[in-house]
Amino acid sequence: MVVGAFILLIPLWAKFIPGDVLHMDIVNLMVLTGVYACAVVGLNLLVGYAGQISLGHAAFFGIGAYTTAILCTHMHWFPTWLGVIAGAVLAGAVGWLVGKPVLRLKGNYLAMATLGLGEIAFILFQQVKGLTGGTVGILDIPPLSIFGLKFDTDLKFFFLIWVVILVLLLVSINLIKSRVGRGLRALHSSEVAADAMGVATGRYKAQVFVLSAAFAGLGGAMFAHFQKYINPESFTLALSILFITMVVVGGMGNIWGGLVGVVILTFLPSVIQALPQWIPGLPHGLSNFSNYELVLYGALLILFMMFMPKGVAFGLSRAADYTEVRARHFRDRQKARKMEGR
Amino acid sequence: MNTGDSKQRKLLWGSVAVVALVVIATLIDKGSIGLQLILSGLTVGSIYALVAMGFSIIYSSTRVINFAQGGFSMLGGMLMYSLAVSGKLPMWLAFILAVLIVTALGAGFERVVIRPMKDHSVITVIIVTIGLSIFMTAVAKWIWGTDPVKIASFSGDKPLRLFGASLVPQSLWVFGLTLVAVALVFLFFNRTLLGKGMRAAADNPDAASLVGVSSSTSSLVAWTLAAGLGAAAGVVIAPINFAQYSAGTALGLKGFSAAVLGGLGSAPGAVVGGLVLGVLETITAGYLPSGYKDAVAFVILILVLLVRPQGLLGRPEEVKV
Amino acid sequence: MLLKKHGWKLPMILLCTLVAVSLSVVGCGKQTVDASKSVYKIGAVLSLSGPAAPLGLPEQNALLMLQDQLNASTGVNGHKVQFLIEDDESNPAKAAAAIAKLINQEGVAAMIGSSSTGATLAMVPVAMSSQVTLVCCAAGTAITKPPKKYVFRTPPTDSMAIDKVLQYLTGTLKVQKIAILHDANAFGTGGADELAAKAPAKGITVVANESYGSTDTDMTAQLTKIQQTPAQALVVWGTNPGPASIAKNMQQLGMKIPFVGSHGIANKTFITLAGTAANGVVFPAGKMLIPSSIPAGSAWRNAVDKFTADYKAKYGKDADTFAGHGWDAGLIITTAMKTAGTDKALIQSTIQKTKGLAGIDGIFNYSATDHDGLNTSDLMMIKIVNGAWTEAK
Repeated sequence: MVVGAFILLIPLWAKFIPGDVLHMDIVNLMVLTGVYACAVVGLNLLVGYAGQISLGHAAFFGIGAYTTAILCTHMHWFPTWLGVIAGAVLAGAVGWLVGKPVLRLKGNYLAMATLGLGEIAFILFQQVKGLTGGTVGILDIPPLSIFGLKFDTDLKFFFLIWVVILVLLLVSINLIKSRVGRGLRALHSSEVAADAMGVATGRYKAQVFVLSAAFAGLGGAMFAHFQKYINPESFTLALSILFITMVVVGGMGNIWGGLVGVVILTFLPSVIQALPQWIPGLPHGLSNFSNYELVLYGALLILFMMFMPKGVAFGLSRAADYTEVRARHFRDRQKARKMEGR
Repeated sequence: MNTGDSKQRKLLWGSVAVVALVVIATLIDKGSIGLQLILSGLTVGSIYALVAMGFSIIYSSTRVINFAQGGFSMLGGMLMYSLAVSGKLPMWLAFILAVLIVTALGAGFERVVIRPMKDHSVITVIIVTIGLSIFMTAVAKWIWGTDPVKIASFSGDKPLRLFGASLVPQSLWVFGLTLVAVALVFLFFNRTLLGKGMRAAADNPDAASLVGVSSSTSSLVAWTLAAGLGAAAGVVIAPINFAQYSAGTALGLKGFSAAVLGGLGSAPGAVVGGLVLGVLETITAGYLPSGYKDAVAFVILILVLLVRPQGLLGRPEEVKV
Repeated sequence: MLLKKHGWKLPMILLCTLVAVSLSVVGCGKQTVDASKSVYKIGAVLSLSGPAAPLGLPEQNALLMLQDQLNASTGVNGHKVQFLIEDDESNPAKAAAAIAKLINQEGVAAMIGSSSTGATLAMVPVAMSSQVTLVCCAAGTAITKPPKKYVFRTPPTDSMAIDKVLQYLTGTLKVQKIAILHDANAFGTGGADELAAKAPAKGITVVANESYGSTDTDMTAQLTKIQQTPAQALVVWGTNPGPASIAKNMQQLGMKIPFVGSHGIANKTFITLAGTAANGVVFPAGKMLIPSSIPAGSAWRNAVDKFTADYKAKYGKDADTFAGHGWDAGLIITTAMKTAGTDKALIQSTIQKTKGLAGIDGIFNYSATDHDGLNTSDLMMIKIVNGAWTEAK
């Protein structure tokens, strides 16, 4: 546990490594990463541990965002921190409502149903104009303040969001170590067997679904107070797919997998964009560049899934294992040769 | 036969009755306007049907949902533009070339990416096809830019009149292709050894390979067929819809809902699903604020999944333990 | 094996290494081509990919052309100019991140962007809190209503286009009942709402108000609804390809009422897509599309003639209104920098005092209460006749 705590603190320090100047734009990017990470950590529990698929999690993210935005802009006295909690709670409630019927489905069918739900949510965000501002969205969302402390700069928000994520991670670790967690892993490998053994699969699935929805709602609410402007375009199917991709690329079934995935996929476009500086001779044409970035992104997705299907966390440790085995093999052969050579 | 089955059968006939009632009510309520709505719905619906068939073909042979199916149609349309309009080739030649190129791409993708991944989890394969969809859209944008492109209709634009409602001639081409495609696909999967073997390979790969149809062949043929059909659909649709680099996603989503409605794995089901979806959508736009039209596809999708996951014409899938 | 030995430590260490590496790669910042301190850096966030790319790409072309022209001659008071252009992918969150990066890491003196309303609205809070002037190329009303100190715009606003359309409906077409068919996106919905609100004061009744999805290709359902109303004209508010499909659908259904579009179809693509159905369509647009409508010899006319000729020579295609928006944004900032240098507060106040500056979109006059700069007289109504644009009298 001590080792775990020590490790948990490293991410905070790592942000300060490049140079002596804290790059504010990176802080900005890290806040976005953090906000998405809330949703991804929750989704990882659902997908990685419980083995259920959701292609509609952007809806919960959006519900959290809209809840706090509507409450705080229509009623100016409404405390923003309460708005965030309301966002998480409402997202969880919706998760409970839709989860019950939908979780009876399996595999591909569950994926399709959640996709449909996500799209319906998006349409509602657009159509219920009186509440959500329709396609224009909601402007002038007040910055987050907790007991008088105002989080109006990127830096302050950055610390806040990563503390929140640590809390979410602790909650997740607790869940995994508990009986519910073990039951989830059982149902992941074989739902029928788990059922037969008396694991309350239906209830556990619903619980994880609600939890992941609430985490996503929390992230969305934080996002609303960070960007101070939301519209339905921020909560499309593309975002749901991004979340799932982050979970899968990072490593399912690994508590850090979600974080790894979020970091990789948020920084990937920036790293790709920075490539021409590092590799001379790469096409520099500014007008072509953003296209070629998406091409690379799609190709990388395909390649990642082909060669590291369990995610980066596992892929890298497998690579490390492989080199270790080859090294040992090499040493053994050396020893054998020496003995024979005599 | 147990009570579950007869309940399902009641549901099936019940939904057929509901759809028929809605159509008849619209005709009575709105007269020739209603007929116009239905004709437009059938046009849009057959577009969905063509895309849905592609989904069905791949799913019935490999249990994979190909999120890039819409992309094949988009590429077909864009290639047709390049060959027939920019390249000034005769339409029939451009059509054949466009379909061949996309078919080759589909087959290539199956061999290089899908085949090596056959043992991976469902979700990994879904992400791969999503990656392909992103890749195809990005490459299309790179090559053709962002503007929609115009392809001349095959037999002109003079609208055909039918009892006060109208139809563009291109719609007939779309209907025609749909009919031909569903007939060919149905015959293939139900009357040829290869086709029947492919369906078997999805459920029981060992038995299928005993008959000479390995799951490897099955997968390749399925992807090839789906890509070719998708491309043909894209070409025929383009004069109505305007081909564009981003056309794949929207088409894919609707086609997918249609496939689920009709029954994933059934080609006639895809057609039925597509037509029903198109008509219901258009009728909804006729009565409700049109913004909710898109919601129809997804509400239907979810209802079907919850109540009768095998769709209207599909067979229930067995869960392997 | 390693995994078992070290448990979760390994992925964690890997994560931190990953973070550190990517941070250093990204954080190293762009090496400026000219190491001289006197290069004036202006940031630009445009939509170069995603749905708004048709707007952002011409804007980028225009800015790069302006940069080349300025640097080839005297620059801005002897200083070379560099536009640092970022792609927001038509995504508000990316736009906000990009402007933060340009302001904080590159230290730009002023900002341009974005191409669409949603992305611009996400950038406004950053511009305001960093006190950096933002000149945008988007037409959404919410951006400057109420006027925000540091936010200006170059395109004619949607409001101006709507006023022009109403002028045409009452003055030329002389109709009392109209139907509206609009794209469900922000542009379409905002336009339709404002049109519906302003119409009654002009003696026009809106008898139908329908919408369509941005990716829809068949609007016959909505059109048949409209056919049943006593509408005398149809106002279509959206961007390509929707209006082109609508024009074709109207032809198919045999609808004869006039099609009045928005400035969203002020491009050749509409004519290509709609084919013969485009004839007779009317829409508001900047006068630059038909330069002969601008008085010969005026500063504006000269600027437009030179711009269109240079753009065609450099890029091989005709300049459209979006290129004009981008050029004007660059022009306004560089003109202000001639007297204000890189002093951010001075840039803001200088721009705010701009009077009579001949750009491509029109003659710009800003004030403390008017951050839009143009007015309805900078627009004209264009009619499509035989596949070409003519002034609609």
